[in-house]
Amino acid sequence: MRASMKWLAPLALAAAGCATMGGPGEHAVIRAKNKVIPSLVHIRPVKESFASGQKQEYVVEGSGFIISPDGYVVTNEHVAGDSTQVRCVLYNRDEIDAEVVGTDRYTDIAVLKLKVDETQLPAAELGHSAHIEPGQTVLALGSPHGLSRSISKGIVSVTDRYLGEEGPRPAPYNTWIQTDAAINPGNSGGPLVNLKGEVIGINTRKLSGADNVGFAIPVNAAREVIGAIIEHGHVPRSWIGVRMQEMTSKTDDPSQRGVVVADVDPLGPAAAAGFAPGDVIIAVNGEPVHARFEEDLPVVLKRVADLPIGSPATFTVRRGEETQDIAVVTMEESDYKGEEVEFAEWGFTAADLTPAIVQAARLPSSRGLVIAGVEVGTVAAASGLRQGDIVLSVDGQEIANLAEFQERYDAINAAANRLVLLDVKRGALTRFELLKLEPGAENGDEAAGEVILDEEDSEEPNGEQPDEDE
Amino acid sequence: MRTNSLVALWIVTGLAAGLAAAPAVEEAGAFSPAFIASQQKAIAPVICLLNFTAEVESQRTGETQKRSTRALGLIVSPDGLVMTHGHMQSDKSDPSNIRVVVGEGEDEKEYDGVFLKKPDDINVCFVRIQGEPGERFPCVTFASDGHLGLGEHILMFGIMGETLDFARGALTRAISAVIEKPRTTYCIDDAIPFGYVGAPVIDSRGRIVGVVGYDLAPAEGGELYVRSGHPLVYQAPLFAKYIQNPPTEDTLEADQPIAWIGVFSQPLTDDLAEYWGLPKKGGVVISTVVEGSPAEAAGIQRGDVITSFDGTPMRAKKNSEIVGFTKLVRETGVGREIPVKLLRNGQAMDITIVLTERPVSAKDAEEFVEDTFGLTVRALTTDVRILLNLPDETQGVIVRRVKSGSWAHLAGMRPGVIILRFGEYPVTTIAEFEAAVNKVKEARPAEVPVFCRAGARTGFFRLQPRWE
Repeated sequence: MRASMKWLAPLALAAAGCATMGGPGEHAVIRAKNKVIPSLVHIRPVKESFASGQKQEYVVEGSGFIISPDGYVVTNEHVAGDSTQVRCVLYNRDEIDAEVVGTDRYTDIAVLKLKVDETQLPAAELGHSAHIEPGQTVLALGSPHGLSRSISKGIVSVTDRYLGEEGPRPAPYNTWIQTDAAINPGNSGGPLVNLKGEVIGINTRKLSGADNVGFAIPVNAAREVIGAIIEHGHVPRSWIGVRMQEMTSKTDDPSQRGVVVADVDPLGPAAAAGFAPGDVIIAVNGEPVHARFEEDLPVVLKRVADLPIGSPATFTVRRGEETQDIAVVTMEESDYKGEEVEFAEWGFTAADLTPAIVQAARLPSSRGLVIAGVEVGTVAAASGLRQGDIVLSVDGQEIANLAEFQERYDAINAAANRLVLLDVKRGALTRFELLKLEPGAENGDEAAGEVILDEEDSEEPNGEQPDEDE
Repeated sequence: MRTNSLVALWIVTGLAAGLAAAPAVEEAGAFSPAFIASQQKAIAPVICLLNFTAEVESQRTGETQKRSTRALGLIVSPDGLVMTHGHMQSDKSDPSNIRVVVGEGEDEKEYDGVFLKKPDDINVCFVRIQGEPGERFPCVTFASDGHLGLGEHILMFGIMGETLDFARGALTRAISAVIEKPRTTYCIDDAIPFGYVGAPVIDSRGRIVGVVGYDLAPAEGGELYVRSGHPLVYQAPLFAKYIQNPPTEDTLEADQPIAWIGVFSQPLTDDLAEYWGLPKKGGVVISTVVEGSPAEAAGIQRGDVITSFDGTPMRAKKNSEIVGFTKLVRETGVGREIPVKLLRNGQAMDITIVLTERPVSAKDAEEFVEDTFGLTVRALTTDVRILLNLPDETQGVIVRRVKSGSWAHLAGMRPGVIILRFGEYPVTTIAEFEAAVNKVKEARPAEVPVFCRAGARTGFFRLQPRWE
């Protein structure tokens, strides 16, 4: 693989050289553009946000491309996810609404279906991202800063950049095509194409503060996700509750093969099966796995994700000098962001817990919900409730999830109770947060003003230490 | 030396710099130029400039770099005790190379200074001038009653910057807020230049009532020094005891140990009392019981309401009133059986609790500097465990600093990471870390995997020593 790259790289460079001089390169660019651009879609979803403590709608602009004559469109999850409606403008300026077929946050892919009866829409041809080479000329098409029908040109900078599973948008299951073709906000979801006019990637991210460092999801990774979304509405994946690191995190010895267990979720199936950090997984169901470098990780992670959900799998694990087989029954991987709901009468929004939140908050179980936002001037704000608080019980009764909380919420509102007590976990501390409801009244200025003052009293100036520890 | 006279005799001079009666203050409470000039002339001899070397910490690596800096000082006793603002000492590093410049122009004289221990209840520092034996210095005397009124004008004397040759300057401001609880705090109405932090504050009656401060002390509601973001007046009674009895290792260590109960609490508001069907008399609601604490040992439970502690009724109804409980606990003796009255599910209960000494905080935690790999680590303390929400089973040492260019730095290690295993050796204490490092140094392996916790997750860093 690496040897062949050495051979091909000069060819790619020569091609790029031709392109800058005009001539055949320019024709190739125009040909490629002409082939793909009829499938280009400018996308304007109306999205929902819950971060301010109330459900708010806002409009974003992004890009996408038609992949089938009957109107399936691919874009990014961060463009069309959490949206209430999606408006699309096709290349011929036709404005057509679309429905969201499904999304996958882990790969940042969404599939839309245009609401048309037509079956002759211009579909882009999907290429093969396994065949691309650094230095190869690529085009990025989309709507940078909302400027639809834009095209920019560059080369593939790296074919297998690993952006990791840390941070707010983990991407464990794919590496990325890095390109210097200009990608700006609004390009998201648009196609990255080769000079044959084939889609080789979905433009998704850029490195802010850098010049022309953009990232596209390789089409080979996308193809399977798109298929699963069309079939299931989402991508079912297996989960065992293990975070993995490349072998070089422990040793640079190339003879050491496998993947390092870096962390084990205490509530996951792997913990129950006896996995421990430092273990090295060398095979899954008898087939060897190996991730020497971090960009090798997605292949292994995907191997685990592709295991049948709810079925036993055998992991061959090396611990010190010993090798053992560990049987694990996989679970379905949950979304890394729980469903969000607004509780307008009380002035906050909340989301279901995810394993990551449960682990970070060190909860004994996955029961409860997390406050997504607190609206200013409401009873929730007055009580001292904060974004990120984990609600464990209402009026002394434990709650399992958002749906159960919704039932309690409706019942309490129907009963017109004046006071509601929430048991809340905030970091290592627990607190009682009393909501002072005023049945029949709006969340008035009087009540809010009175208690907000109290709250300000209570705040430590840096807002970090809610209580006195003595 | 103190006087209650309106014409405050606030400058004493061992050198007999006499003070004429101050001219009358203008009716409106502002200060007349003549008044300001006379005050400045009188106060100038007690203002000094502290030049010193401070250690500044890099946020990224936790490494410290030395920096020359300066502060305004105020001579507070004839034997050369100087008071300055608390920022002179940060974290564990004491300032060094202290030079005290007393007087101006031809009268300017420079002395060595020795840094004294920083008190923990007010954000000021003290420096002792190393004068000739028996040498006496002009010094300030504060009014014993430091009361200020809302809107009252105040006058401050400080120093200008280096480009202005550290000239003495005057500044007038007014009191914008008087906060009564948990102790009286005066807020100044506008920003204060750096050269006035620690400056003497003179009230409209011409008395020196305190100094300019910036940070709230624990008694004002913070466990640690917390930036209030607002200039304040530290009134004299807050620091008078340290002028009488300068803080040294001996004087501070002679104090009683700070007692610890190990709970987090919130007030029993009237609403909470109504909700639980309790009398609306206030109290201390236990919201969290720290594992392994005296409270846990005494059987205190989450949701208990303390109504009396060591005979003192607890009537907190507001968050700010919880501080009273905090203060009482701190000052209650260690090891004695303390009677506590509490309400549990509405039922009155009497229990006794034996407080222990407050666990060592991160600030005072044992630290170990390891030069080979470039790591400075600290023991994991209770406060860090709570702050980071660490599981009990997490035993290790926390990285405090990573030396730039070191093997640890090259491996991507950073401050805040908790080392759980160094090479093949489990690390739960500083001693174990030191032993592990020594064993690795003996074995000289080509690579050392270090198992760590960073935030909510664990993982490995690989050190690649170059032993030659």
